[in-house]
Amino acid sequence: MDGTFSLLMQGFAVAGTPENLMIALIGCFLGTVVGLLPGLGPINGVAILLPIAFAMKLPPESALILLCAVYAGCEYGGRISAILLNVPGDAGAVMTTMDGYPMAKKGLAGPALSMSAVASFCGALVATTGIVLFAPILAEWAIAFGPAEYFVLMVLALCCLGGLVGDSLPKAAIACLVGLLLSTVGIDSNSGVYRYTFDALHLQDGIPFIVIVIGLFAVSEVMLMLQHAHSGVEPMAITGRLMFNMKEFMLAKWTMLRCSLAGFFIGVLPGAGATIASAMCYASERRMAGKDHDFGNGDIRGVAAPEAANNSSANGSLVPMLTLGVPGSGTTAVMIGALTLYNITPGPTLFQEQPVIVWGLIASLFIANVMLLALNIPLIRVFVKFLSIPTWLLVPGVAAISMVGVYAVHGNTFDLILGTVIGGIGYLLRVMNFPIAPFILGFVLGDMMEQNLRRALSISDGEVGVLFASPISIGLWVGALAMLIGPRLFRLIEQRRHAAAEAAGTAG
Amino acid sequence: MLKKTFVAAAAALAATFAAGVAHAAPEKPECIAPAKPGGGFDLTCKLAQSALQDAKLLDAPMRVTYMPGGIGAVAYNTVIANRPAEGGTIVAYSGGSFLNLAIGKFGKYTEDDVRWLAAIGADYGAIIVRADSPFQSLKDLIEATRKDPGKVVFGAGGSVGSQDWMKSALIAREAGVDPKSMRYVAFEGGGEAITALMGGHVQAYSGDASEILGHMKGGRIKVLAILAQERLKGELADIPTAIEQGYNVDWTITRGFYMGPKVSDADYQWWVGAFEKLQATPEFDKLRTERGLFPYKLTGAELTENVKKEVARYKVLATELGLTAQ
Amino acid sequence: MSERIFGGILLIVSIAGIWIARGFEAPFSYEPVGPRAFPMLILALLGISAIALMLERKSDTAWASPAVLKRIGLLFLVVLAYAWLFDKLGFILATVLMVIPAARFFGANWTQAAAGGVGLGAGLFILFDRLLDVALPTGLWLGNILG
Repeated sequence: MDGTFSLLMQGFAVAGTPENLMIALIGCFLGTVVGLLPGLGPINGVAILLPIAFAMKLPPESALILLCAVYAGCEYGGRISAILLNVPGDAGAVMTTMDGYPMAKKGLAGPALSMSAVASFCGALVATTGIVLFAPILAEWAIAFGPAEYFVLMVLALCCLGGLVGDSLPKAAIACLVGLLLSTVGIDSNSGVYRYTFDALHLQDGIPFIVIVIGLFAVSEVMLMLQHAHSGVEPMAITGRLMFNMKEFMLAKWTMLRCSLAGFFIGVLPGAGATIASAMCYASERRMAGKDHDFGNGDIRGVAAPEAANNSSANGSLVPMLTLGVPGSGTTAVMIGALTLYNITPGPTLFQEQPVIVWGLIASLFIANVMLLALNIPLIRVFVKFLSIPTWLLVPGVAAISMVGVYAVHGNTFDLILGTVIGGIGYLLRVMNFPIAPFILGFVLGDMMEQNLRRALSISDGEVGVLFASPISIGLWVGALAMLIGPRLFRLIEQRRHAAAEAAGTAG
Repeated sequence: MLKKTFVAAAAALAATFAAGVAHAAPEKPECIAPAKPGGGFDLTCKLAQSALQDAKLLDAPMRVTYMPGGIGAVAYNTVIANRPAEGGTIVAYSGGSFLNLAIGKFGKYTEDDVRWLAAIGADYGAIIVRADSPFQSLKDLIEATRKDPGKVVFGAGGSVGSQDWMKSALIAREAGVDPKSMRYVAFEGGGEAITALMGGHVQAYSGDASEILGHMKGGRIKVLAILAQERLKGELADIPTAIEQGYNVDWTITRGFYMGPKVSDADYQWWVGAFEKLQATPEFDKLRTERGLFPYKLTGAELTENVKKEVARYKVLATELGLTAQ
Repeated sequence: MSERIFGGILLIVSIAGIWIARGFEAPFSYEPVGPRAFPMLILALLGISAIALMLERKSDTAWASPAVLKRIGLLFLVVLAYAWLFDKLGFILATVLMVIPAARFFGANWTQAAAGGVGLGAGLFILFDRLLDVALPTGLWLGNILG
């Protein structure tokens, strides 16, 4: 333990030199910008900077600090456009739109931004502390997750979905099922069979998540904005408040902590990632809130939950990278590439062989997050100014930036057209009050759920018992069951207590 | 043989000649990585990017752009159909693409529809188990598979019919087991597969030599065989090849670039010359090794011939393993 | 009514989807489940949900007035054309051509729309292509000028 502490201090010494602090600051700023732009995410940020860092002949630790700062910055940036424009800046921020945008509409953009910045900080802090204390143990947790465990985790995630059902059960079910269905498009990764590709080469890899997000959020949002412009609804109220107040903080503090912890454990699992973490946390917080909540219409917990979760999960995904040499997400795959360039091979021996690098990286995560918090709170004033851009400029701007985001990663117009068509359908769905969250969750979970079930069953040769074989799966099943009946049970107890209290009241 | 040497010599001569008359470097150099950022294709492009820049062969910095889809199929079709004459654009390929070309997964185009430019490195298959596995040699693994194919679960990062699957299938074939009755689990990418191996969810993993270096030091895994013609150098020198152990399986995946079919000869020759010059330098060797690629050089006509041979070989293999039976 | 029509369309989609899914057969497969089961299950559930939607008696859909719907449809077509022309005309020209009508829909006058179009087209090109190193199509017509 002492050893860990002194190593961490060494790490701070590395990350705390004036040059490295400067590099971290640049990285944080650039990361926030890239994260804010819809479509562009940490993968692009890191991929853009990598050759530059290499060309500048930065020493390995500085280059890594730069990359970590960009990575951390992106996670902060994604929420900004989610809250202000209802267009998530990156995949992890999809759930932040659910309450962030309604808050902005009520004139609470400032509190939403400041609360989500604090939640992001909390998530990152919890996760980084988690890395310091438990990284080697967590490596075991990550590899203990086989296909069966992943499948049950997805079942648990779907059970959380109950919290997202709106007024109409068939509509929520349809949204989720259409999401699941779209996730099956492309080459089936188990058998290699082409499903619903209609001989289009571009569909072979399936529909990219970014295309769904841009379509459902950006394109359909543009159309909805035109509708609102005509219905005479004043889109944004102005309250001028920038910071959340004490009451809001007290309301969100446990949410933040719970989601930070949950996000971290999900993030550690390779492949699960920030989107699933934030969706699960958002949905379960919403369920747990019982009756007394404003989720979906601008509840402050609705921005705290996904932001705490996606930041802690983003940091958590560094664990398998550092300890196992296995990328936990697309971005960490790029970072592994970066390490390789410096002749550093991430893996189980990295902590022993390259303590300077590892602890410098961890220290730089702490530093980057403090910087980001310090950078983000005063910047809220600037961000809120986005809202005073006239609609006629803002809307085409959103459309253009979103298209660039898709084009940057896919380099062809097929995906742009697909995104636009999905956006058109999304518009119809939104006008008919279909909930969007189950759609997104279905799409994200569908592929992992199906493939892992099939993998698990082919490992066991069709024996269904494999799904209940390990303590982890059993724990997850119990969790799923609790998610299904827990809230109902909770409500029942509340009612009983209420009735008892009333009875006591009348008696007295 | 004589013909091949002659062709090679002619190509080399043409290349030197073209470079000799100092045809200007193509404008707007761009490398298309037919995948999302971060994978092997990206790495290939980045290698060319930094090497060409370090060697000052290009005036403008080369850009890396991404065009994912069907392990290169989207890029292949886009370049042929929409961007066939761009003298500044090179596209990364991997030997894995040859397999898809061979079984017709690249749409209507064949290996004759692009100009093959240069191969700049190679990777080799590897058969990997957990360190505490009961199989401590390739023989153990193959014998166990022969005895009861249902007991040994192979895993890899690609679906049935992918090059990752092919490696498992070839091992099964060595065991006298029909690839149809072996047990195989497809993961999404090598990272997931190797995690599953470490967690004991699958028993054997058919991956690539380049990705195992870091894992070997960790002591969680054991490499049973490298699927190369001869032993690799450097840190992997202690690992026997499958051929040494008496099993005739080798699996080489080359990485390199091709260009559009209508690129002018002058531009094409400029690139061939540039890559030949590049690959002759020790700096390039260093850059390539840093990216986990093993030495492999072929350019121009020689490469084109090699690609044709490989595609033909994969066609035969695919039929033998039952991939193109229908 | 909208829900009924939509439910009907979904029902047709799910039946067609199941029809297509019958053809998903691996050349050979090791798995007990196979590539067909999951889509079929999803589609069956989707069909049932579609029927449930059609039977649901309530509707909370509020369509915009026909005149507004027409404009929204036109805006959609503008965005669609933008997506299609994105690399054919090049980013700058395509953006100018998209922004002008889109800005007009949102009440800009012609001067504002034109200025916004040129500003966004050129500004975003510089931001992405030059500063953030995201390669954008210049279009054939501009290729020679911008290099």
